[in-house]
Parts: sequence; C-alpha cells; structure tokens
Amino acid sequence: MKQKSVVSRRTFLKGAAATVATVSFGGTFFDFIFSGLSPAVAAENSTVELFRNACPRNCYDTCAILSTVQDGVLKKVVGDPASTYTRGTLCAKGFSYTRSVYSPDRIKYPMRQIGRGSGNWQRISWDEAYTEIAQNMLRLKREYGSTLPICLNKYSGNFDIMHYGIEGMLTSIGNTTRATGTPCWPAGIDAQTFDFGTIVCNDPEDIVNSKYLIIWGANPAWCSVHSMYFVKEAQQRGCKVVVIDPILTQTASKADLYIQIKSSTDGALALGMARYILDHNLYDGEWLAKNSKGAEEFFSYLKNNITLEWAAEKTGIPQHIIEMLAREYATTKPANIWIGYGMQRHTNGGQNVRAIDALAAITGNIGKSGGGAQYAQLETWGFKYHAMSQSKPANSGGKEDRAININNFGAEVLNAQDPPIKMLWIACRGPMTQDPETAVVKKAFEGMDLVVTADLYMTPTVEMSDIVLPVTTAFETPGVNVSYWHYWLSLNEQAIKPMYESKNDVTIAMELSAKLNELEQGSCTFPTSGDLQEWVGKEFSEGIYKQFGIQDWQELKKGPVKAKSGLIAWQDGKFRTPSGKYELWSAEAEKYGHFPLPVYVEEMQSTDKYPLRCITPHWKLSIHSQFQNLDWMAAVNNEPHIEIHPKVAAKYHIKDNDSVKMFNDIGYITLPAKITETVSPDVVAVYETWYKNKKFNVNYTVKAIPADMGKKATGAPGIAFHDNFVAIQKM
Amino acid sequence: MAKKIGFLVNSDRCIGCHACELACKNEYQQEPEIRWRKVYPLKEDSFGGFAREFASLACNHCEDPACLKACPVIAYTKREDGIVMHSKERCIGCKNCMLACPYKVPEFNQKTKKVEKCHMCAARQDRGEKPACVVGCPMEAITIINVNDTIAGAERSLPGFPNAAITNPTTRFIKPVVGRQVRRDA
Repeated sequence: MKQKSVVSRRTFLKGAAATVATVSFGGTFFDFIFSGLSPAVAAENSTVELFRNACPRNCYDTCAILSTVQDGVLKKVVGDPASTYTRGTLCAKGFSYTRSVYSPDRIKYPMRQIGRGSGNWQRISWDEAYTEIAQNMLRLKREYGSTLPICLNKYSGNFDIMHYGIEGMLTSIGNTTRATGTPCWPAGIDAQTFDFGTIVCNDPEDIVNSKYLIIWGANPAWCSVHSMYFVKEAQQRGCKVVVIDPILTQTASKADLYIQIKSSTDGALALGMARYILDHNLYDGEWLAKNSKGAEEFFSYLKNNITLEWAAEKTGIPQHIIEMLAREYATTKPANIWIGYGMQRHTNGGQNVRAIDALAAITGNIGKSGGGAQYAQLETWGFKYHAMSQSKPANSGGKEDRAININNFGAEVLNAQDPPIKMLWIACRGPMTQDPETAVVKKAFEGMDLVVTADLYMTPTVEMSDIVLPVTTAFETPGVNVSYWHYWLSLNEQAIKPMYESKNDVTIAMELSAKLNELEQGSCTFPTSGDLQEWVGKEFSEGIYKQFGIQDWQELKKGPVKAKSGLIAWQDGKFRTPSGKYELWSAEAEKYGHFPLPVYVEEMQSTDKYPLRCITPHWKLSIHSQFQNLDWMAAVNNEPHIEIHPKVAAKYHIKDNDSVKMFNDIGYITLPAKITETVSPDVVAVYETWYKNKKFNVNYTVKAIPADMGKKATGAPGIAFHDNFVAIQKM
Repeated sequence: MAKKIGFLVNSDRCIGCHACELACKNEYQQEPEIRWRKVYPLKEDSFGGFAREFASLACNHCEDPACLKACPVIAYTKREDGIVMHSKERCIGCKNCMLACPYKVPEFNQKTKKVEKCHMCAARQDRGEKPACVVGCPMEAITIINVNDTIAGAERSLPGFPNAAITNPTTRFIKPVVGRQVRRDA
C-alpha cells in the first residue's frame, strides 16, 4: 500500500485549533512494516482534532498545551509553540497527561465510605451524593443557626480561574469557615509587599538580558524547566549564573558558581554583601535618592550591626567569597536575583527576602530589563472571578465568613468554637499528605459529621472522607489559565468528554445548588444551570482584554497571548507602598510586628536531640501530591529516599539504600538512604510527594511552625517547612 | 560519505528532568514499564566537583549493531541513514538481542511478548519532523547529527558508558562543565 496523505502537524497548526480534519492514519509503509498492524486493521478516515489546553497546576510554567484527540480519545499532548515561554515543550509531568486522564486509578463515580478510613466504599448516584450532602448542610444550619460549621479547604490543585467557583459555591450557601492563607510562599509575598507594595517580577523571558544572575534558593531545573532554558541562554550570552542554596540542586549543578549557604541564614549573606557594597561605595545613590525611603536608616543599621566577619561566621561562607560576590553583583549591570520560595520557608524567611530585595534596591537594579528581584507576579490575574463572586442567601445566619489558618489546619479545625466545625468540603487539595502534622489533621477529620472530597484519585485525603465526588481533568472541561511567573494567557478548551461520571467542580456547585433549593427553597444562590464555555467567557474583564490586547476571549482559540505591557517590574518607578517609594524603612512592616528595616532575625538551630535539619523540597516528577502516583512516573522512579552526606552516613554506619528511620517528637518515616555530596553534613533532604500505595509521607515529621510573614497579604503566615529538625538511625 | 545520523546528547545542557523520556512515551503511548529512552544519573564526581549530571540514552543505532547480529529471525535491519529498525512482525520474542546489546536497549513487552526499542522516530523523520525526544526537551539538549560531520566538543563516550569499541554506537556526547563550588564540608 502506498503512503496516503498524512496531514502533518504543521498543516494543523496553520488552522485554528479544534478544527476537525479527516485524515488517514496507519496506512504508511512504516506503520505497516514496523507496527505489526496490517493496513486493513488500522483505522481509516479517523477524525483527528487539535485542542488548546493549559496546564493548571501550581507551577511557575503554566504551560500552553496542544492536545491531539483522535475519535474522541486524547492521543498525545505537546507544548504549544505559539508561546515563546513554553517554546513547544512540556516537562515530564506535562508529557504524562494521557496517563492522568486514562489512569485506571481515576475515581469513576460518586462513592460513600462506610466507616471513614475503612476502605469500605459503596457506589452511589450523583443524586444520592447531593441529597446526603445537602441534607447535612441544612441540618447543620438548623442546629447551629448558620452554615459556619461547614469549612472549605481548597487551594492549588487546579488554578484554572473558573475553579474559584468552588469558593463561590460555599459563599452561595451562607457564611462558612474558610481555610485561609497559602502554604507555599506567603512570607516572601509579605516581604515584597513591604518593600515594593506588592509582588511583580520581570517577564522570565527577560532573563536572557541579565549579565549577572543569582538564583537564590530556587531550583528551576526541577520546578520551572522552561525558565531554565532562558537561564542557559543568558549563560551562553556571557551572564554569570550563581546559585545560593543549602542543597547542591540540579540548578546549582549547572551554575558557574555554587555557594552552599547554611540554611536559613540568607539574610546574613545579603546584609553582609550590602555592608561591603556600602563600604566600597558601590551603591546607586542616585536611584536611592529618587526612588527609596529609609536608605539612610538602612545604611546606619548596616554600619552599626553588620560586619563581613559576622556574615561569614553566620552563613558558613568564607569572607573573601562574600566580598567577591558583593563586588561582582554590584558592579555587573544589569544584575538579576531570582528569589525562590524554598528560602522563605523559615521562621526568618520574610526578613531574609527583605534583605535580598534591599541588595537589588541599593544597587539600582530595580525597574530594569535584566535586573530586578524576581519573586512572582499576580498582575495577570485581574479576572472578574464571576464563578467565585456569589451572593449569600438572606437570613442564613452568622455575620461573616470565619477564616482559619490553612497552615495549621488540623489544630484550627479542632479548636474552632461557637460554632464548632462539623463538615469539611475539600477540593483541589490533599491535606492528609501536604499539610504539616498529619496526625493532627487526621484527628480533625475524625471529629467531623461529614467530609466531602472532590478529587481524581484515591488519595490519603479521600481515604479519610465520607463522600468522594469524581472530578474532571483539565482536558475534560473548559477553563482559562495564567501564571504567577510568566505573562502568558491561555485558554483551556474542552478536548474530550468528561470521563466516567466525573464532573467539573462548577457543575457540581450548580447541581448541589439545585438539590439544596429543592430541599429548602432559597437556601443556595448558586445558579443551577449554565454553559461552562459561556462561564469561561464571563471570567474576562476589560482590564484583561486591554492588558493582553484582545477584543474577545474567543480569540484565544487561535493561541495563547502575552501581556502587552508591564513586562519589566517597576519600570515606571511607581511603587505601591504607602509612600509610593521603595521602602527600606517600612512602617507597614512595623505595624505587622516586624522591625521596619530589613534586619537579621536569628535562624532556628538544631538541638543535641535532633541534630539534623530536614529540608523537604519539591520533587522533579511531581507537583506536591500530583503526578508521582501515575504509572509512567512510577516506571521512572517509585521510591522516595533520604539524601545524606557521606560524613553523616559514616557516623551512623549507613550505606547506600540502607533503610533509615528519620524521626522527631511528632513522628517518623522509614526510607532508603541515598548517600550524596549534594547535601551538607548538617542537612538531610527528603522530597515531598505522594506515592501510590506507599506509607511514605514526610509531613509525619513536619511541625506547623509559622514563618515570620504572610499575614498582611495572604491572611496567614506561611509555614517554616524547612525548620524541621530530626534525628536518624539505621534500621 | 553517505549521511549517517545519530543522537548528539548534550549533557552540559541536560538537567535530568526526564521530559525526553516522557515525550517519547507520550508520542507512542507505551506500556508503563517500557522505556525506549532513559535518563541515567552519572557519578557525582565524574567531571570535577560534585554535581547532578546525566546521560539521556535511547538506542545508540550502532554502526555494528549487536542486536542485529544476535537476532535469529532477521527482525533487525539497519537503514541507509543508520537507523537500526526492529520489526515487531518478525520478532519472536526470544530475547537474544537483549542479551547482546551492551546498552540494555531492547526491552521485552510482556503484553505483546515481543521486544521493542527506539527507532529514532524514523516515520517522523521521514516526513521531515524531528524525533519526539528532540522536540520535547525543554533544554534543547538532544539533537540529530550526521555522525560523519565534525561537531565541536562531541565525544564518543561519557564516564560509565560501555566500551564504544564493541558496537561502534552513533551517539555522541557533550560533556558537562561543572562550575566553581564553595561547599561547607570542604
């Protein structure tokens, strides 16, 4: 059989996405000979469609995806070349999406568990699920006079804008309790809010213009692979790349200079550098005079309190290295600093970020292409939040929503009084694996009348629920996505029908609303019907249209678009602080109980009993509890490990792959050792993730110690995840 | 000289992210345990200093393929451009090739009871597209080269790679360069 005309990918891309093309597959010579299929068996005249999707995960990259759907089946995904950030590639996680959609582990229909944690699940209909949930909601409202005993814990499992409809659903039943805050990054957000007025970063594609780049406590090689391309590109154009990290990360392995800092002492290094810059007149007095408030006070603090000897002692970095770093950073223009989320997960994390920001300010690197102090941005998130913005029903009781700290969720649920919390709604979240103090979280679950979890898989959180509702993947439902890092806007088209009986969270809200109103007219304001595509359109605001230079959201079907302005943070010099200046001296910080200047706050120390600091960074094959559970990932790696320095291993007579127990006051885990020079002798590293069918959960040992900042911008302080001290023993 | 193509694996650009491996799986929707491409960690101290370095390897499409020689049923052929092809139709699943390959490339598919391996996306290349791993790598660390060309910095081996003299693989490597390191255990 001769080769038939196969429509190439390029031909597809010329047309708008989602145009249906009829092509012949399986008829090529190659397929005949090497696929083992005979041409007669291979499908002819298949319908192949391309859709534009967006990865909605809690990730810097928020990739634009092109999905190939053949006869209604998602066949493969690739990066959308229309995005100059994604550049046509995905990461390992993104490339595994067909296995996420078609995993045999998908929850296929609503189920009720008889005995929380028993595994005794029964299939129920959606109507039964809604009835039981609605009856409980209405009963709690009657018993307690309000819906405040109902608590929502929803966060970062899906950052599609329409998924904020989950919050909307809870609003629409009345005043409820909300897990408030964010575990990941709040200390740094507050720090930059005190300094700049809010968080804004340069377009990461601008990294190529840097002549000096310090990646400070971030690991883009694992957590933002597409940025790593721009880092390498900058390096090739002559930029010196410095990585400062307690762990010799994958990113550090690719640096021109790696500096292993003692964990949580980043502020001491930044202040030591600032002192050197001050002493050698390497600061930008002109920029400071024009743009800043409190430079004099800051310099006075440096002169009176900071020495290079002290900084060297504190950080474990030789003084001559600190001096070299300070000199190079201050004299190479433009110089850029990428401030990671890992380095702010400490009891002094926010202060440390402020000290690093100060370096960028005193050297005049702010507001410049190739410069800056990059943390994150929320500038592209100016949607209408139509699905989220619901009204509360009249006379539903209570004065206002009650906020509890998401970062100490278990204890806060247990401590809530007047009224107590009796029902949990969990969506886009896995507190049983991702929250600190797992045992306390479990206890909180155990005290509930009803726990409802909407999820894709049988996670440990679902295992502790009474009712599980199957939800759709991003490919089964429409949405819209932006990043907290890059400046692209991507439409997420529905590429395939919802699998099994799964539903979008907003559909669940609509149908639950119908049931609530059936049982008690007027008890829920959430619309009981609506077209999800139209709802996506309703999320767009005039501001978004203007920012991205589009007239109508449907234009995004032709491809993702990038913001037309604001790509260099603070280029206009208009800071959003109370003074309108960059605030080295922040009265706002003082108001929140911090010293007004970026000062050094002592880091937490190990103890004789628990001599090792356990750092629990992200893992390259997962984002929190997502992806590592899939079979394709398990084939690459299916075993967590504890990274131990050879000197520590020798002390405890531990060899590679020996079973090691890591423990502290609140719990323990047992896992194989990996002896490696990538950690220092005072640190062990265990990567947080969820493995299917494994007892592993590093949060058994992690205490809910608050980070210093986060309250102002996010409502609650962050978690000092990396201030976890442990002991180890060979098993 | 006729064009002979091979993979150029730039381990200096490689960040060990496994995107290439999963891009391959995504393209062919393989069984979970089948891995045509694998990202191997290299010994930490291989390049001076300690670092996380990798070699991303698929079939090396050898000049002198041991699989082809070991196969009793002529399931292997070598194309003019150098790609070593394997025919699932001819394969009887005897595993002789698996024993012969110094790189442990051919893999046994428990479902089909046959061997399979990387064919360098021959069909994609025939229609002018690059292999899935090449276009899937966010770092542009894998390229297809004409092995008869002189490529600056390209080497025939990396530490830990089996002796290239056995089968004369066409894969070429660019070594990682490890930067200066200031470590606290020194």
